[in-house]
Amino acid sequence: MIVDVNAYLGHFAFRRLQHNTAASLLELMDSRKIDKAVVSSASSITYRNAHAGNEEIAAEVRDHHDRLIPFAVINPFYAGWQDDLKICHEEFGMAGLRLYPKWHNYQLSSPCCRELVNAATERGMIISIPIRVEDNRQRSWLLDVPDVPLEEIVELVKVHPKARFILLNGMGYTRCPLGRKDNDLPSNYAIGLSRLSAVLANELGQLITNMGAERVMFGTGMPFNYPDPALVKLEILDASEADKEKIRSQNAMTWLRL
Amino acid sequence: MAVSRITSCPPSPQPRISRRTLLKGSVALALGTAGQSPAHSMAVEKPEAGTSNSTLYKGKVIDCHAHLNHRSRATWEADDGKLIEAADKLGIDQLCCSTLTPHQPATADGFRECNQWTADGMRRFPGRVLGYCYVNPGYGREALDEIRRCIEDEEFIGIKLYNEYTCTEPVVFPVVELAIELGVPILQHALHSHYFVEEQPRMSDGGHLAELAGRYPEAMLICAHISGGGDWEWTIKALLHAPNVLLDTSGSVTDDGTVEMAASMVGADRVVFGCDSSMTAGVGKIRGANLSAQDKQKILGENMTKLLRRRKS
Repeated sequence: MIVDVNAYLGHFAFRRLQHNTAASLLELMDSRKIDKAVVSSASSITYRNAHAGNEEIAAEVRDHHDRLIPFAVINPFYAGWQDDLKICHEEFGMAGLRLYPKWHNYQLSSPCCRELVNAATERGMIISIPIRVEDNRQRSWLLDVPDVPLEEIVELVKVHPKARFILLNGMGYTRCPLGRKDNDLPSNYAIGLSRLSAVLANELGQLITNMGAERVMFGTGMPFNYPDPALVKLEILDASEADKEKIRSQNAMTWLRL
Repeated sequence: MAVSRITSCPPSPQPRISRRTLLKGSVALALGTAGQSPAHSMAVEKPEAGTSNSTLYKGKVIDCHAHLNHRSRATWEADDGKLIEAADKLGIDQLCCSTLTPHQPATADGFRECNQWTADGMRRFPGRVLGYCYVNPGYGREALDEIRRCIEDEEFIGIKLYNEYTCTEPVVFPVVELAIELGVPILQHALHSHYFVEEQPRMSDGGHLAELAGRYPEAMLICAHISGGGDWEWTIKALLHAPNVLLDTSGSVTDDGTVEMAASMVGADRVVFGCDSSMTAGVGKIRGANLSAQDKQKILGENMTKLLRRRKS
């Protein structure tokens, strides 16, 4: 069993994506033996009204709930986000949400964002934060969206010890408290492996040593990314089969209550 | 090469992955998508001696863009060893390496010292490490002498140019002319961003390489890391009409479709596999690319092998 916590559907404003419909993503997943994937709207990253993307995702995965697990994209500075969150959770059955503080131009420490995190936590929803969407060197001439600084994540997880966070598309965790042993942070976050090295610096191995395999999750970033680099990492990772199984699926299944 | 099995994305429990097996899987995977059963595409046996099996990649896998560590780094020796270990795990037979100075512009003493360390790396890892001679073209005669020494006396396979000069500046031309004389490729650091990169004001991009290639159609040029060199779609399009420029797939970016677009637009004959230290990214994007087995064979090693056979000395 392989569960991908880092997948998307829909269009991205700055590059054509393949495999971005439910049918084509499932075909890709089949070819790589990926059983389930957490998906959110790629379109919502740049839609002003992110909820339109949530509606698209809900319709797209309607017949595929056994394999595609929808997450919402919520912008806590946009009018009606409380209504959107309620609809996503209660009507669309979304078990979590993704935040894009830099793309949506707000601070994780802002009162609105804190309110959103609290509201999602009360509903038992997971809060997933992509540290980046794409490599900044290839950004469009229209914008300059920085990665989410890991220091801001440190503060967020401290302030919301009861919330559950999944951090995606990041690296350099071992150079900050998030990836260090005995870091005095709550164990309320897990880290996706899509950009972690599995050889040379081997940050993936370091994270497992420092935090335990329970805190790492498999994720590819498809269809933005090829799924294969993440799969290769799992294959060559110098870890026990039990630890690999946790990363491959068990941790995500536990968090998602599957 | 002891390849017994390839595994691209196995169901649990996983079989143990053998040394130098993963990249062979890229070819098998391509064959699987071309009509063979998924099971066959996931685990392909190495052919027994005296048998033939066209589904297997039998050639060398060559990383066209790698680096040994500068020895100011305390852990350089162990880190060089880790590079070879990673290559072993990932099925990479040879790594075309340069050693760069920690800061640019490199001085003549600086690049000469780097090249001595590269030569030492070739001796420490015989047959695994191939050397690029790194120079700063601004040193004129000293740079040219160093290239000739490295290629003719030390058996380096090519030249590495970084960001000291844009590759279309006249100061670079004597280096290109010497590369043509010696019959060796130039790996040119490149990036195209839609903004000015202050740290690298004389950065080259695919457009510069196309211009240089037009000036020197006999030159063998490699545009470095299309998957870590900014807007890769721009780069591929800029190089469409530059037949003597190869595109190196290396870099940390794993955007789906990159390798396919490169192969589709410029032809698989002009795409070469590389990692530039992003090892699983490098391997994974080739394995994931929806290309024929023949095209992947070209990219993984055949194109680079052909290039290296054009050496004149």
